[in-house]
Amino acid sequence: MTDTTRTAAASRRSLPNGVWGIALFIATEATLFGSLIASYFYLRFKHAGWPLGGIEPPKPALPLAITGALVLAIVPMFLASAAARRGSVGATARFVITALVVQAGYLVVQIVLFADDLSKFKPTTNAYGSVYFTLLGVDHFHVLIGILLSLWLLSRLATGLTNYRVVATRVISWYWYFASTVAVAVTLTQLSSSL
Amino acid sequence: MATVASPEAARRVQRLERVWRERPGLLGWLTTCDHKRIGILYLFTSLAFFAAGGVEALLVRTQLIRPDNGLLGPEKFDQMMTTHGVTMIFLFVIPISIGAFGNYLVPLMIGSRDMAFPRMNALSYWLFLASGIFIYTGLFLGHGPNAGWFDYVPLGSKQYDPGPNVDFYALGLIFNGVSSTAAAINFIVTIFKLRAPGMSLNRMPLFCYAFLAVSFALIFALPPLNVALGFLELDRRLGFHFFDVAHGGDALMWQHLFWIFGHPEVYIIILPAFGIATSIIPTFTRRKMVAFPLVALAEILVAFIGFGVWVHHMFATGLSSITLVYFAAASLIIVVPSGIQLFAWITTLNTGRPEFKTPLLFICGFIIFFLLGGLSGVMFAAIPFDQQLTDTYFVVAHFHFVIFGAAVFPILGGLYYWFPKVTGRMYHERTGQLSFWLAFTGTALTFFPMHIVGLLGMPRRVYTYPGGMGWSDYNLLESIGAYVLASGLFLIVANLLVSAFRGVRVGPDPWGGATLEWATSSPPPDYNFPVIPKVTSAYAMWDREDREEDARKLTRGDLVLERGHETPASTVLDADWDEILEMPSDSPWPITLAAAAAGVFAFLLLGHWLVAGVFGGLCLAVLAAWHRQEPQLA
Repeated sequence: MTDTTRTAAASRRSLPNGVWGIALFIATEATLFGSLIASYFYLRFKHAGWPLGGIEPPKPALPLAITGALVLAIVPMFLASAAARRGSVGATARFVITALVVQAGYLVVQIVLFADDLSKFKPTTNAYGSVYFTLLGVDHFHVLIGILLSLWLLSRLATGLTNYRVVATRVISWYWYFASTVAVAVTLTQLSSSL
Repeated sequence: MATVASPEAARRVQRLERVWRERPGLLGWLTTCDHKRIGILYLFTSLAFFAAGGVEALLVRTQLIRPDNGLLGPEKFDQMMTTHGVTMIFLFVIPISIGAFGNYLVPLMIGSRDMAFPRMNALSYWLFLASGIFIYTGLFLGHGPNAGWFDYVPLGSKQYDPGPNVDFYALGLIFNGVSSTAAAINFIVTIFKLRAPGMSLNRMPLFCYAFLAVSFALIFALPPLNVALGFLELDRRLGFHFFDVAHGGDALMWQHLFWIFGHPEVYIIILPAFGIATSIIPTFTRRKMVAFPLVALAEILVAFIGFGVWVHHMFATGLSSITLVYFAAASLIIVVPSGIQLFAWITTLNTGRPEFKTPLLFICGFIIFFLLGGLSGVMFAAIPFDQQLTDTYFVVAHFHFVIFGAAVFPILGGLYYWFPKVTGRMYHERTGQLSFWLAFTGTALTFFPMHIVGLLGMPRRVYTYPGGMGWSDYNLLESIGAYVLASGLFLIVANLLVSAFRGVRVGPDPWGGATLEWATSSPPPDYNFPVIPKVTSAYAMWDREDREEDARKLTRGDLVLERGHETPASTVLDADWDEILEMPSDSPWPITLAAAAAGVFAFLLLGHWLVAGVFGGLCLAVLAAWHRQEPQLA
């Protein structure tokens, strides 16, 4: 990182535009997930028995464990953001990769669980199946986008840090803070019929 | 070219012109990221959709001109009526107010050289255009949206509407929503971060408060709509059961999700009109707005409370009494901030020296229609009244007074008001006044009798009606009114088109306006201002010393930023100096990304999931290419 960039990052008194942009994007995403979760409970409270049609409630242990791991991956993303602001490209990349390993592992296990659920019932079985698979599908897609963002960031970091990339690291960290937090809300909703 | 006082200043301005020069020709327009050019693109596109929506309205009114008319059959009528609603809301009012007025004016009013994310701004426009073409492709193929603009299920379900009509609607609106979300985020960051140093929040024009409130409302209102549309498409295309009662779904869930979006949407439509009114009134009354902080707060409160009233659209659906009473109370509370603004406008007019030029006439029309539409709105907060009149023409009368009379009149007034700024020429005043009276008379004649036929029991959305019901004369009047209104609108377009070429040339500030867009030449140069303006009040143009100081700053080279494609960023509350931003210039990627996104939606409609996925991958590739060019290279 050049001196000019470091000066710009250090002297800035308020959040850069990119961070404001992602904060507002998160606000709209949070409303999207809020609407999905509200729809789940709206349908749930319309019925005396839930899940509908004798479908077995999901088993909580594994989803809870991997979601916990995803939340812990916030720590390396926070450290990556701090390292980028210090101007340390190597440390930034290392922290992003550490988080990425956990995040990719989470997604792989979730896809296996998703496929397993699909072998038991389908989105077309009834409204429970529809809202269950839609909620989880959107959340997993959200994590996949985060992984693509992190991979893109690593490709940019390979040629060093610029002011733009420092802001990008902060922006993608914010994305992960939200993606991990909302995964908790989604998982608790998913498991609400078993808890 | 700005007026310059010294050789040093002239050199700086020449350099600014070189740095900010826009690429000429068609390619320049396709790749532009300049907020003014994007505003103009939004303006012409949304006006084209306005014309289309207007023709649909005229066809609907011609069909209803007499009983048992056979001009449009029920199928065509449903498509015309639905597409009229969808067009006017999603393809005209929001894009012209936020896209055209907001894009062109907000950066100028806050003393910035562009929006916070110029390339995303261009993307918003191209996505909007593509979504409009997408929806209209359905209409031209004979499959236009046909289940009403709020598309209630089960009417909108595959079982009762098996054609692709509703799919054009649902996918088109999701597509359109992406554009509006991107635009809203861009406006908030622009208003928060790009205000000229010194323009603390309390010195920001009320116009910008209105756009800030609208943008916040958009980012929270659109997701429930997108969720509802996503559920609908999953039900229709893949056999899911969100709204299918036989398999545990719930049809009313659509209404909840739609109106959680739909009612804030009403304020999204009308808030920019409030912003335009608060710009025009001070200029033509030669005084500052009465109760500035209260009006600013009221603009934000209207957007906020608008999220808590959606069930008043569902009073006749059999919800519990306690739910209805809560939402009736919330619907009454929103009268307070609306009333504050109404009284502030009237008091400003009353205590100033009003000069009734065309823009102010349109604002007076707006105040009258907003009052009338607002009063019938308050009536709907009374649950028994609503239950009696829901789905009658009384509702159509109410919301057209609000959405056309109140939301569109300031847009028309705004077209006249800022016309000299955009073109450097003045419109023809007498023709302008005549166009106002035609539009005003036409609006009153079209929509007022609808109250009466509604009270007489005429249901809305019927393609024809029998004679002898006592509705025929009123319908005839309404249809005549629609043509009078159309002639007024035609006269506005004709006046502005002719004046754009033959109007009298004007200087930077023909009105003695209060806000910063009048500080620069007409039309503004590519770099907006030769020097980032000094701001010490919300009526920056009325602070003569500050404008004189700008001229001195240009000579000194203070905040000219002529060395790069730059604009300053400031802190959010106090607008203290923060950093210099290197802004991106023209880019081919926004239009390319919009084209790839159009491919995704087109193939989703056709049911070719794999090809849609390929276009999705293409979108990611375009995004990667887009971000290879870094605007803030260190």
